[in-house]
Amino acid sequence: MALPRGRILEEFRPLLTRMGIEPEAALDDPGARQLKFSTSDSALDIICVRSFDVATIVAFGGAELGVAGNDVLMEFDYSEIYAPVDLGIGRCRMVVAEPAEMVAGDNPSRWSHVRVATKYPEITRRHFARRGVQAECLKLSGAMELAPGLGLCRRIVDLVSTGATLKANGLVEVEHIADVTSRLVVNRAALKTRPEFVGAWVERFAQAARETGDETAEGAGDGA
Amino acid sequence: MTEYQERALLPPGMNDVLPPDAAYETSTLNSLLECFAGHGYQQVNPPLVEFEESLLAGAGASMTSATFRLMDPVSQRMMGVRADMTLQIARIATTRLKDAPRPLRLCYAGQVLRMEGTQLRPERQFGQAGVELIGARESAADAEIVLLAVESLAAIGVRDLSVDLNLPPLVPALTSALSLGDEAAAVARAALDRKDAAGVAALGGQAAEILGALLAIAGPASRALAALEALDLPPSVAGECTRLGEVVAEIGRAAPDLALTIDPAENRGFEYHTGVGFVLFALGVRGELGRGGRYLAGQGEGEPATGVTLFMDSVLRAVPGPDAPKRLFVPVGVPAQVRAKLRQEGWQTVAALADAGDVPAEARRLECSHVYDAGKVNPLN
Repeated sequence: MALPRGRILEEFRPLLTRMGIEPEAALDDPGARQLKFSTSDSALDIICVRSFDVATIVAFGGAELGVAGNDVLMEFDYSEIYAPVDLGIGRCRMVVAEPAEMVAGDNPSRWSHVRVATKYPEITRRHFARRGVQAECLKLSGAMELAPGLGLCRRIVDLVSTGATLKANGLVEVEHIADVTSRLVVNRAALKTRPEFVGAWVERFAQAARETGDETAEGAGDGA
Repeated sequence: MTEYQERALLPPGMNDVLPPDAAYETSTLNSLLECFAGHGYQQVNPPLVEFEESLLAGAGASMTSATFRLMDPVSQRMMGVRADMTLQIARIATTRLKDAPRPLRLCYAGQVLRMEGTQLRPERQFGQAGVELIGARESAADAEIVLLAVESLAAIGVRDLSVDLNLPPLVPALTSALSLGDEAAAVARAALDRKDAAGVAALGGQAAEILGALLAIAGPASRALAALEALDLPPSVAGECTRLGEVVAEIGRAAPDLALTIDPAENRGFEYHTGVGFVLFALGVRGELGRGGRYLAGQGEGEPATGVTLFMDSVLRAVPGPDAPKRLFVPVGVPAQVRAKLRQEGWQTVAALADAGDVPAEARRLECSHVYDAGKVNPLN
């Protein structure tokens, strides 16, 4: 199973615990150099990679299962990946943002050509093409929020969870592209050739995600 | 030198196939064709290039974006290089062979060319081999095609095959029965194609409920079939659903150990299919080995037909690979008649053109497995 490092891994760990699976301790050590980890279940090994690589590795069958945000899935759109379970973690949204001082004089419905800094050139192009706008994408790997201030472009497409980073960099959300959550992804051939085995894992993850979701809903209810 | 070496660079997605793979590919292809012929399928060879009008007419429209075009200076009409062979076979069956007795069984093998590779299949040129059964409405025809595909792949050494049966007309029938608009239907199909349970749930209402149930059905055939029959299906696809049940039963009788799954929501790659379809997978092999299903051959009403296409690039990843060749080095001075006799015994004879001195060393240099020495064949190691 391929997992992305960082925040998603942190949010995913309780699901494993709920399923009664204990990975080796190094997985929880952010400083560890190890990339492959065994678990208490001999049928499940974990590899830790970058979030974009989870989709590629699962599509090519290097791992049968993985966890990937639908931002990554939309960007690559691999035909060999299924995303059968919404794990309800890694919640954020993908938006178009621009400098606050630009917003007043800007009417998005009149755009015909935009230059956008983003980690997601495919999604960006598709989003703007659907509105009849030509998008020239500047592919960056991080810190997109800096781009408008540095004069690289005027708009960015990026993930936002609280909006604090945008605000700190003087940017304002002007368009919403998609809501993002992490999904359990499955290699297509693996699901077809071992339907019972792989199907049972999918069902276990779905069950764990449902239980977590129910508890969160209850918790929120108590608070209100 | 470097400049000359650089000329060996080929366009993306094009490959030179070298020894021993080239010979292996040919022998694999021949075994497949032999198996097809054994079941009464006769070979046809359509041309590489056809007029665009006929190649991309009707069901061929689905290959429009994959087809290379060129201008024919003779007729001054646009031609297309075939990106798929099934529709060429259908054209032959419904034009030149329209009076041949039905059901008509044809097989073929050849190379196809596509405008773009995909990430999983970067090859733009690859081999296809397949069979088409034209003019047969019976579910026995669908079962025959699936079983023949399985038998031919087993014959070339593919192990742990798995067949996924699909019902391509089901999703469009459901979306129209639910009276989803074009846009909502496209969103629904995109979500179903990716098995995106969250996306299907987001459709809301009855659509989320029914299509969600459809997603949950996918799995081993016996269980999936029972669940599918329990669904309230639109009348337009009830017939194909019954056919699916008959096909599963027939395959079960003929090949009880075959791994059979059903996925009624699968829709991608079945652009021109009108009934039961299927995809072939092998355990641990990337991508599809082949796919097939029911379609309408020819123009207008069309003739009921079904068939399968095997993709040789994936098939060759699933087979065990060539046996060590029996290459026999024959030193100078061995008469031609002796060499001919050795070939009859199954040896590939590599004759020395001049006295090479150290015979075993020369044999090894020329990648031979055996050496002929004074009337005897000795292995080299």
